[in-house]
Amino acid sequence: MLNIYDLTKNYGSFTAVNHLSLHIPEGDLFGFVGPNGAGKTTTIRMVCGLLKASSGSVQIGNISARMGSKEMKRLIGYVPDFFGVYDNLKVHEYMDFYGSMYGMRSRDIAKLTDDLLELVNLSDKKEFYVDTLSRGMKQRLCVARALLHNPKLLILDEPSSGLDPRARVEMKELLKNLHSMGKTIVISSHILSELSEMCTSIGIMNRGQLIMAGRIEDIMQQVTGGRRIHIQAASGLDTAVRLLMEQAGVVVESVRENEIIITNNGTDEQASALIGQLIQHQVVLTGFYREEGSLESLFMQLTGGGVQ
Amino acid sequence: MKIRWNPIVKKDLQVTARSMRFSWGLFAYDAVLVMAFLLALAVIQANSDNYYSDSNIYGNLIYLFPVLAVAQVMIVALIAPIITASSISGEKERQTFDIMLTTCMSPFSIVLGKVVSAVLRILFFVAAGMPVMALSFVVGGLSWASLLYFVLAIILLSVLSGSIGILCSSFCRRSITAVVLSFAIYFVIYVLTFVPMILSLLWTEGDSAGESMLFLLFNPGVFFEEFFMQIMTGVSLFGTEGSMFSTGDVGFLTYYLSQGKTWMFLSAACILILSILFMIVAAWRVNPMNTSGGIKRKKAKMAKG
Repeated sequence: MLNIYDLTKNYGSFTAVNHLSLHIPEGDLFGFVGPNGAGKTTTIRMVCGLLKASSGSVQIGNISARMGSKEMKRLIGYVPDFFGVYDNLKVHEYMDFYGSMYGMRSRDIAKLTDDLLELVNLSDKKEFYVDTLSRGMKQRLCVARALLHNPKLLILDEPSSGLDPRARVEMKELLKNLHSMGKTIVISSHILSELSEMCTSIGIMNRGQLIMAGRIEDIMQQVTGGRRIHIQAASGLDTAVRLLMEQAGVVVESVRENEIIITNNGTDEQASALIGQLIQHQVVLTGFYREEGSLESLFMQLTGGGVQ
Repeated sequence: MKIRWNPIVKKDLQVTARSMRFSWGLFAYDAVLVMAFLLALAVIQANSDNYYSDSNIYGNLIYLFPVLAVAQVMIVALIAPIITASSISGEKERQTFDIMLTTCMSPFSIVLGKVVSAVLRILFFVAAGMPVMALSFVVGGLSWASLLYFVLAIILLSVLSGSIGILCSSFCRRSITAVVLSFAIYFVIYVLTFVPMILSLLWTEGDSAGESMLFLLFNPGVFFEEFFMQIMTGVSLFGTEGSMFSTGDVGFLTYYLSQGKTWMFLSAACILILSILFMIVAAWRVNPMNTSGGIKRKKAKMAKG
């Protein structure tokens, strides 16, 4: 659905996005992850035609038009991180305004507005002034607005920032709902747990470069492939450390008061053999477990701990 | 065929019509006009020997028109850039401009929509001032056609002022900066267009302004002076003895343009072209594909430095 080829953005000698190439299949819910200044928003703004790219191109579906052209804009629904409102404009008037900007007829907009407001659970707010809505409601209204012209691709730039927990859950449910309807969605966020729960694929950016991208299952498998093991002991910690350092394929990462963290590249059988050896050497084990692979840990590894 | 409104015009008028500030603005505008009317009437009365028997008073009452018209022109010239200077920078401040740019509307349609909505809002003011203006026509002895021409001239002025405002708004992120810049451009158009004429007169020791007068075609102040002259006396300001514009030997083109109403119409065309030029520049400026993100570049430099 979305193909980005060699996208680059330079500000003088500073490169914000460095030769980014990415393919997002149709119907995907793609999460864009990266620390502040990684280039996520810059990439999104270039795709949406809000920023001129230094080089590179974008293709949506089969359409390969100039970024910022009418053809491209018609294919994209954009939800920015901050939702600005007009005073004295009602919810349905707000929808009518943006629908008209896509050249839609008022009659069609009115019908779609009803459906979309129902989708985002704002049907009862149709006659309300937009500036009286809560932030969460405004964000959902913004999603409804972005869907008004039935875009092929929905792009959300940190839609959950500044939302309270309830509004975040509602937003997550809304995005899951849209995904189940077959919409291709690109979402950038800092809330990694949320992304890992709902995204089908992710891309991790750091310092303007895409350092990893793919299906979330494949990526999580890579994380669990790290084989990080936590060993907790009531006594004999020094003996345990000495013993572990002698083992082939075992790297002692850190030693705390009662805990040793190791990386074991061996098999599960080798790991269980380690337990036997530790007990044989009088180490009183109180815990021995493999760390669950999480997006957070992968993100920390890849970005050098630059999580926000 | 159904006429499709520019959505920005519709939205801006909707938002404006519900604003109390706009209602108070109309009230203040009418109050200023009424005060100008009463003041002018009092001055005319004071200059007449006998208010009830002096037949010259009717001749003097004709001056109600220029007094009110000039007051109206000055107010419009003042408020038009204020309205438009905040139109794009206001959208940027509210962070609604990015969403606008992601829609199918072209940057020129956005700019045009903003200028048209500003012109229509100004027309609200003009319409609100119409009863006061009509008084000057009833007692001033001018034709209703003159009033119509005046409204057209006001529209022309509001298009120019609006396009200046939108131009500045497209270059500035903050509304207040855009307003200040608008008045700086006003200074160039209203004052600095006199400089070539003054320099020519100084160079020729007052003998000839030559074709340097042609710069004044772009000056709305001179346009309105010519407009009032034509309406009230039927002759051109440039051909009137004693007028500062007729001093010295003007060039061939300027002489030709001063015949009949040629200067007035050509000046109107020049002002309109200037306005369109300002709108094109503003549209070019707001198109993200024409800029490379200067503000971010500055930030990047600062971050590096």
